[in-house]
Amino acid sequence: MATTRTVKLRVNGVAYEHTVEARKTLVDFLREDVGLTGTNVGCEHGVCGACTILMNGEAVRSCIMLAAQADGADLMTVEGLAKPGGELHPIQESFREKHGLQCGFCTPGFLMTTYELLSKHPDADEAEMKEWLSGHLCRCTGYQDILESVKLAASRLRNR
Amino acid sequence: MVTAEPKLPSELPISQPRHVGKDSARMEDPLLLTGKVEYGNDIRTPGMLHAAILRSPHAHARIKSMDISRAENLPGVAAVLTGKEVKDWSRPVFGVPEGWTGYALAVEKTHWVGEPVAVIAASDRYIAEDALELIDVEYEPLEPVVDVFRAVSASAPKVLEGKDSNVAYDRRFVFGDVDGAFASADLIVREQFRWHRSSGNPIETCVCIADWNPFNGMLTLRGGHRSPHLILPALVISLGVSSQQVRIIQSPLGGSFGVKTFARYVVLIALMAKKLGGRPVKWTEDRIEHLIGNSSHAWDRHYDCELALKCDGTIAGMKMQLVDDLGAFSEWLAIGMLLKPLLCLGSCYHIANVDYSCKGVITNKTPQGPLRAFGLPPHFWVIEQLIEIAAKKLGLESNEVRRRNFIKKDQFPYVSPSGNVYDSGDYEASLSLLLSKAGYDELRREQQTARAQGRLLGIGVVSSIEPGLTGPPMLALASPRIFSRTSSPEGILLRIDAFGKVIAELGFPPGGQSQHSFVRQILADYLGVALEDVQVITVDSLSMQPSTGPISSSMAIALSGAVLGAAARLTDKLKRAAAVMLEANVDDVELFDGQFRVRGVPGKSLVVAQVAQFMMARPDLLPEGIDGNPQATFVWNPPDRTIPDEKGFGRYSVTAAGAQHLCMVEVDRETGQVKILKYVMVDDCGVRLNPSVVRGMLMGGMAHGVGTALLEEYVYDDQGQMLTSSYMDYLMPTIMEVPAAEEHEMCTPSPISPLGVKGVGEGALHTTPAAVLCALNDALEPLGVRITEAPMTPLRIWKALQTTPSH
Amino acid sequence: MKPAKFDYYDPTNLDEALTLLDTHQGDGKVLAGGQSLMPLLNMRLARPNIVVDINRIKELNYVRASDGGVAIGALARQRALQTEKLIAERVPILQEAAYYIAHPQIRSRGTICGSIAHADPAAELPALALALDAEMTLTGAKAARTVGAETFFRNFFTTALEANEILTEVRFPAQSKDSVWSVLEISRRHGDFAIAGIVAGLTLDSDRQIIRRARLVYFGVGPTPIRVKAAEDALIGQAAAEPVFEAAAQSAKQGIDPSNDIHASEEYRRAVAATLTKRALRAALQKLGKS
Repeated sequence: MATTRTVKLRVNGVAYEHTVEARKTLVDFLREDVGLTGTNVGCEHGVCGACTILMNGEAVRSCIMLAAQADGADLMTVEGLAKPGGELHPIQESFREKHGLQCGFCTPGFLMTTYELLSKHPDADEAEMKEWLSGHLCRCTGYQDILESVKLAASRLRNR
Repeated sequence: MVTAEPKLPSELPISQPRHVGKDSARMEDPLLLTGKVEYGNDIRTPGMLHAAILRSPHAHARIKSMDISRAENLPGVAAVLTGKEVKDWSRPVFGVPEGWTGYALAVEKTHWVGEPVAVIAASDRYIAEDALELIDVEYEPLEPVVDVFRAVSASAPKVLEGKDSNVAYDRRFVFGDVDGAFASADLIVREQFRWHRSSGNPIETCVCIADWNPFNGMLTLRGGHRSPHLILPALVISLGVSSQQVRIIQSPLGGSFGVKTFARYVVLIALMAKKLGGRPVKWTEDRIEHLIGNSSHAWDRHYDCELALKCDGTIAGMKMQLVDDLGAFSEWLAIGMLLKPLLCLGSCYHIANVDYSCKGVITNKTPQGPLRAFGLPPHFWVIEQLIEIAAKKLGLESNEVRRRNFIKKDQFPYVSPSGNVYDSGDYEASLSLLLSKAGYDELRREQQTARAQGRLLGIGVVSSIEPGLTGPPMLALASPRIFSRTSSPEGILLRIDAFGKVIAELGFPPGGQSQHSFVRQILADYLGVALEDVQVITVDSLSMQPSTGPISSSMAIALSGAVLGAAARLTDKLKRAAAVMLEANVDDVELFDGQFRVRGVPGKSLVVAQVAQFMMARPDLLPEGIDGNPQATFVWNPPDRTIPDEKGFGRYSVTAAGAQHLCMVEVDRETGQVKILKYVMVDDCGVRLNPSVVRGMLMGGMAHGVGTALLEEYVYDDQGQMLTSSYMDYLMPTIMEVPAAEEHEMCTPSPISPLGVKGVGEGALHTTPAAVLCALNDALEPLGVRITEAPMTPLRIWKALQTTPSH
Repeated sequence: MKPAKFDYYDPTNLDEALTLLDTHQGDGKVLAGGQSLMPLLNMRLARPNIVVDINRIKELNYVRASDGGVAIGALARQRALQTEKLIAERVPILQEAAYYIAHPQIRSRGTICGSIAHADPAAELPALALALDAEMTLTGAKAARTVGAETFFRNFFTTALEANEILTEVRFPAQSKDSVWSVLEISRRHGDFAIAGIVAGLTLDSDRQIIRRARLVYFGVGPTPIRVKAAEDALIGQAAAEPVFEAAAQSAKQGIDPSNDIHASEEYRRAVAATLTKRALRAALQKLGKS
């Protein structure tokens, strides 16, 4: 049926398969069908960045993708960052240390963008960091502590 | 005998605070960072349906008919709620002054584009939205009123049925001898200003899950509710529900900034739940709904002001007239935003004679609602400009004019013209600190060099006051019947469990201000326990102590007061048990550094856990009147507030934090674009319980201020259609638009509040728009151009630049 | 904000995609990057009955050398502008312009051809296509045709593409070695659509004194990207100097067709276009090491 689609994908290394309406957005699929609610919905038109996840290693806006488009893909969400035993990822640790979050609603999106940024550009300078972070809105922090968190994360990852 | 409330951290029963006053990792973070926190929209309850709201496409229209049959018959739709049912089942939504609102759904007519007209509940939101399109509504468009000056005219259509005017509130307050001040002035400056509406826009929109059980009558509400006890009266009044039958279970919030009381929508979704007869329904507001339909716009003002001065720059008096376009209703507590300026009419300056008149006008636009700083940012934005204009005319340096008018350090506690009291401050020292940290003289030299090169560089230095803990009594000026109260209670339940761990139960959820963390910090220090041994939880509205919630920069004050009060009561109780264990007189027992000891007798000491466990194990050994339960509650209320008289004279708030900001901008004269080159803040919020949290609040408030000053605006066309209905057009600042700011501390502890704290949650938003405007106008000064409209967009600046002869 | 129902197809070969579009007689929308279409679907401003997702047509994902220039397939993402060596070597102005295009999280999915097909007059890529004389391959079920940028852009969000065609390739000729280019824009925030923007190209004579060729294309100031030949003519044969730039700027002011909206007025756009003309020309010259 062309109005539904069976979506098979991996999220944080775990395989999932669900049949959904073709019009269902990827963020709704993740939150409802896969059951991972860490990725948040902020605007549903691709501007605020709260829904940002990694698809095949690249930061994408899951609110403006269809679940069907992720069929066969490898996704990473915020739930995939920390180790199951309770150990935070160095990026998460850095945000914690530098007070890079207040209400936390925009945070998963920032974390995923930071993950891709530092994976691909471990020596990113401040200008490059700001370029990547400019794709996210935060109403609480005023961004400075987020930038400091990313800088700390970069140095932690370099020294790992 | 209750121990006196510590007025400074040094008065805590500890030799050196280990946590209070220090940065400490937040207990909220692990769940937030891992995506495990449960925000309202993450909640799933069995059988839960999803709501979507049909909204009016017209600013002003009569509803001639509505056919919901096609929608009802769509597979997956459980029910449709219409205006007729809402009218039968409820009273109009709560608003002050009373009588200027409508029902939670439009009934016979619609009053603004976006006003809810019907609600669908369906098995998922996709289907609910499909069903919205199947509701057939016949509208008869009416002439909309979108200009506030037209709205006040006798011939204008009346927005609210049954009203013969569109003026919901019109009041004048005169303090001192204004006529005399103006008559004897050497200079009177007059200017008009225009401030356009914006709103809080937290990244998480509103979410409410309602479940109204017809069998036991319980109305259960889940979701992002910031202040359950604050909205409870609105629910009781509108829904006719009995208060003990309402349970509000709050989720952590993704920010609020004033928005997350949203009482009208709580009423609406509760009514949808009523229609569903026992099935729960969730409404998750989408962003477009939030921009158009959330009645949380603020402030939409036309100012006409005069400042009277002596030739030495001392301000003799001020006249301020403002007209605020409230939108279609005077809903919830929006009117308070017109009144809050009474708390700090003269800002940091001693202005004894003030004539303040404010008019709240109804038009066919989205209703206003609470926004962080609650009406003050435009007030300071205006005052600082008047000072700049006056200084130029007098040939004085504007900072000198400010200094001459500052309330002096020895004038505290300062009784302002309206009777409101500022507890402490040292504005001169703050200003000096600011100018020195910013390198002010060097900046002025830089400006001279730039001007010689033809560049438009400007510097603004401004001040503001952040009143802490308002609410009633200023609302009494709009509704004495409801708000003749001085209370804004904040309560807490504190207990020690069987294993000696400390548990604090609060009445409001985490929302970004790190409340749970700093409660933990205070308790760890007070009781001398490890941070990890303190648990802080939010309990639901039936379980919690009276609570107002984190409004009005209150949290540090009210919550500290509650925690300290409960800790003191608990300690007193524990001392009775400790006295038994130590075989001493209870008056000789003290708690210090986490040890119960006999004063002056070294040796035997007990920790809190031991005493608590003894209480629970051996109630037979406890003195008369002490039960075996190591628990205390405390409800803190702001001290010294009064109910204002008919002239508006009263004591409205508790603390007065103060800020001085410096902003340097460069204006691109060909495009009107503004770049902020430097931003420095000095903030005096008294004692800082957690410095990095305070810094975060200030940086966030400054960013919000940049948005309000340069980017954010709701724009309507002449038919009342909102043109800024998505994030493509309503522009929030990103990291690129927010300058890297410096922040420096000034601390004049509050002599009144617990631990000497003053509120800072509304923070920099009070000050940043004024700082940016003054810098901007300083940059444009050589061209003889002045901007008096916010936001100060490139288009507005460019247009003003076209009027100069030199252009 | 959830999309209305549609039938969804994600064919793995181009013929299938084209047949679908053809069969459904204009009732189908092509989904590539989705960064423009999905917001419209979420807001129900677009309500196609059929969505043809071309993301699985692997053969469309390429950036290749072509006649000295670069051929970009329908699925090449906007990030390719910054990562593909061929683009850096042959059409470096595209790489430079990528900085203005939205944000990295949009460029991961947004496609180069998609932006051109969507033809938002305030977008950078359509203007670059016009400025650089790109050629577009429009492929239908029965035939493919080539349309030059000059005739490709017709009106707001309207191009030569028929409802049953897919823009399968855009070819950018190599920037000539003696030309210098610059892209500038005015926007409310970083990454936003332009209030006004310019792509400017200059070729000077061997002495680097006289302007031999000029290209001035504006975006955000008309229903399509606009090339102002009169402004170019004001430059050609003249010295590369301020008074000449000023003349071109004034000419540009008259040659564009801006509208009013809440962010900018028509007058503002004209004035800013003039300013951008001078600034872009200066910036282009600076690349030659001449100021």
